Amino acid sequence: MDGCKFFGAFRACSGIKDAVVLSHCPVGCNWGAMILKNTSNQSDIRQACTVMHEREIVFGGEEALREALVRADKLYNTPLLAVIAGCAPTVIGDDIEAVVNSVELNKEVVWMDAAGFKDNMGKGYEEALVHLARLMKECETVEKSVNLIGFCPDDFKVDADLKEIKRLLNHAGIKVNCVISKCSFHEFVNAPAAELNVVMGQGTELAEHMKREFGVPYLAVGYPYGLEGTTDFINAICEHLHIEAKEKELDFELESFKRIYLYLHELYGTPVSVIGDFHAESMANFLDRELGFDIEVLNSNEDDYYTFEQNVRASNTTILFGSSFERNIAVELRIPLVRFTYPVFDHVCVYDDAPFAGFRGAVCLTETILNAVMGFGTKEINKYITK
Amino acid sequence: MKGIEKEIEMDIVKAGNDRLSAMKDIFRDLTFTGVYQGPTWRFHSYGINCKLSGSVYAVTEIENAVPLVHGPIGCPFHHRLTPRRMWESMRLACTELTENDVIYGGEDRLREKLVDTYSKYKPELIAVLPTCVSGLTGDDVKGVIQEVEVPCELLYVPSEGFAHRDRQALDVFLKDYAKAWVDPTESPAYEIRGCGHEEVMLSLAEQMMEEQDVEERSVNIETYYGRFNYGARTQLEKMVQLFKKIGIKINTTFLTCTVDEVKRAPAAELNIAGRGIEWAKHMKKEFGTDYLQRTFFYSGIEGTEKLLLDIASKFNLEGEAEEFTSKEKNKALQELDRYGKNFENHDFALFTLGFFFTPYSIKTYLDLKIPLKYVCIDTLWLKEHNISDETIELMVRNIEKLIVDWDMGFELVVNPSLNETSEIAKKVDYVLSDWNTMPLYEKEGISVINTSVAMYLFYRIGFTGLVELAEYMAKRIKRKHNPRIPIVSRLEYDKIHYPMLADPMCLASHDMWSAMWSLRSE
Repeated sequence: MDGCKFFGAFRACSGIKDAVVLSHCPVGCNWGAMILKNTSNQSDIRQACTVMHEREIVFGGEEALREALVRADKLYNTPLLAVIAGCAPTVIGDDIEAVVNSVELNKEVVWMDAAGFKDNMGKGYEEALVHLARLMKECETVEKSVNLIGFCPDDFKVDADLKEIKRLLNHAGIKVNCVISKCSFHEFVNAPAAELNVVMGQGTELAEHMKREFGVPYLAVGYPYGLEGTTDFINAICEHLHIEAKEKELDFELESFKRIYLYLHELYGTPVSVIGDFHAESMANFLDRELGFDIEVLNSNEDDYYTFEQNVRASNTTILFGSSFERNIAVELRIPLVRFTYPVFDHVCVYDDAPFAGFRGAVCLTETILNAVMGFGTKEINKYITK
Repeated sequence: MKGIEKEIEMDIVKAGNDRLSAMKDIFRDLTFTGVYQGPTWRFHSYGINCKLSGSVYAVTEIENAVPLVHGPIGCPFHHRLTPRRMWESMRLACTELTENDVIYGGEDRLREKLVDTYSKYKPELIAVLPTCVSGLTGDDVKGVIQEVEVPCELLYVPSEGFAHRDRQALDVFLKDYAKAWVDPTESPAYEIRGCGHEEVMLSLAEQMMEEQDVEERSVNIETYYGRFNYGARTQLEKMVQLFKKIGIKINTTFLTCTVDEVKRAPAAELNIAGRGIEWAKHMKKEFGTDYLQRTFFYSGIEGTEKLLLDIASKFNLEGEAEEFTSKEKNKALQELDRYGKNFENHDFALFTLGFFFTPYSIKTYLDLKIPLKYVCIDTLWLKEHNISDETIELMVRNIEKLIVDWDMGFELVVNPSLNETSEIAKKVDYVLSDWNTMPLYEKEGISVINTSVAMYLFYRIGFTGLVELAEYMAKRIKRKHNPRIPIVSRLEYDKIHYPMLADPMCLASHDMWSAMWSLRSE
């Protein structure tokens, strides 16, 4: 179960904190993108819509787009307007480029065709970043600095994870130049100042583009879940930046794990299933490698969802790791669901000192898993027994 | 004698327990559904949901029905969430249209997916919901449905996202309502197009219902938002009990029903419609099923009595119903008198919104024997929804007229400032509010009683909702709490669009939406 190209483009563009996204589409696409994004931040509304209606479908949506561009230019005090065209204008053939070029605006405008029928969310994210990259400028390289690529503003735990990842990198003497896409317009424009692009699951096309255009090399790494995953992550970056191992001082401690070590013993070998975007594989690695869980089913969002559900039903899975979409199957199978990947719309994560990534994240994640198991209602378990 | 006393006592205990259970039911829904629905409603300041989401929800209200979205993968991805209860993700199939299908047509894909959906889910009904893309490419959905053979019912529901209501619809609708407040014979009998729910109702009536032998004294009741209606379970139970006492049988509760019950809906003599009536009009034309629409004037003591008698008259049961209704009404009045003793000798102010039912809701508070001294009405939010000044003025004018006609005797204050509100609060003993401005008032030291539960009790068929509300209010005014400084009241809000934050981006997004929405389909 995956989102479409429009969603990917929207998530990439809305990650630039002072940009406005103008969706050229009927009301529903605008609404869906807004609802999924804003469960994570209800105070951050920076989007507009051309509200394509039957009249625009019949006579074309170009006038509506022109009108929206002029109004948005006046209403928003922002440096960037990202225009994303959905399915409807693409099918009817609106000439978006011509409209954008026909109006004089006081801000940068980047437009992209993100018709949902053309591709999936991942592709939309990749293409949108490449479109936005034309705003980047040649910069003087800042030594031992990196850009982190692959984030979205509505990823679960994104603020807490980034805080922890930056703490670890800074501790190793590495500066984070820009997080893409969760940065200011200024930071995005100056992204080529980084010595290295670190691609964390997605954003490879942007990294390739920046390598070609600005000579910034890139490194693809897994998401830093767990003690081992985090160590691998830091080591890989340090190695690339020629930072000596002794400088890194990887500072994880085991005190927190000692307090609950008997529970971890008891849960060793627990059969679990994992589904999600690129985070899923790194999560499965942590669960397998560090908690000793047996991975019964591991699926990407792009795989057939019905098959995933059937496979989980046919497995011994006792904990499910995924997004809010897995709530139903978890309820059906009477097993706990640990939410870790987009979209999460039935949990909030506003405390940014409780990450899932990094060394501190390993503790929080373990705590979350144990609480999910230990707090799981006896009612649900009994129901299962009596069935 | 002792036995009878005990029986009476048991009846009172049982009635008390029933009320507690009914109120618990509503508060549970307010908490567990409201936590999602409330914010979703606020997001309407920046956009509205797609027609498709309403269709998806409505189809899933029917037992063992599966929606098949005929469109690209993105449509079911976000319509799997209902706007009302976001975590309630649903069983949903999709044709996953690609660029090839846009060029060559998606009919083959639809054929395949109909078979595939049946083989995976074994539903009793598959409802095909076209999207913007299949609507634009002109796929012959009806044709495909007729030719594909799967052992379940197939339904076509027009759900293209671009065919939503236009900006003037709500304005026209509210204007007609405001006129009807003073002349209920002119009650508007049409609906707002394009939320998807009505489209499903009408499609079911047109495509699935079958001619039946009519069962005397039986009704179909529209269940509005079904499982997402606050207190729905209790509401339905109470209605069934009430109708049974009058001698009326429930044929089906539409859409909270099975596929078979949908087909057999024409067996009823009467449809009691709520939200929209196009489906009921169609059933009248096609099957001769009469209908009655529940609307604003069926509220309060008089309204409830009228509703019961109007329903009974459709079955020529006036005589039986009159006796029963009068007994029920007197019982309710006695209870309201009893609870009313808690309210007499106190002054109340009511802070409420201007909307479809406003003067009739206010009148219902008076039925509860609550002495209102002031009623403050907020109409600013109507502006946000493109309601014209002319309509708002008409609404206020007609409320003022009804205050005089009905001799309601309170002072009406329209859009008071926070200072004015504060002054009003000082002049009364209790402030009631069914709107979400409570934190602001309480920060100013105005103690407010939350009456948001009222709207779910006012419109239940029968008198029990009114009595339950009176009991709740009587308990509630006795409860004191310490002065509050709510965290949410510490935030800075926009002066006009409460509870929008005073944030330039939020305000610009609101203004942008408002402008673009009002430009469409002028």
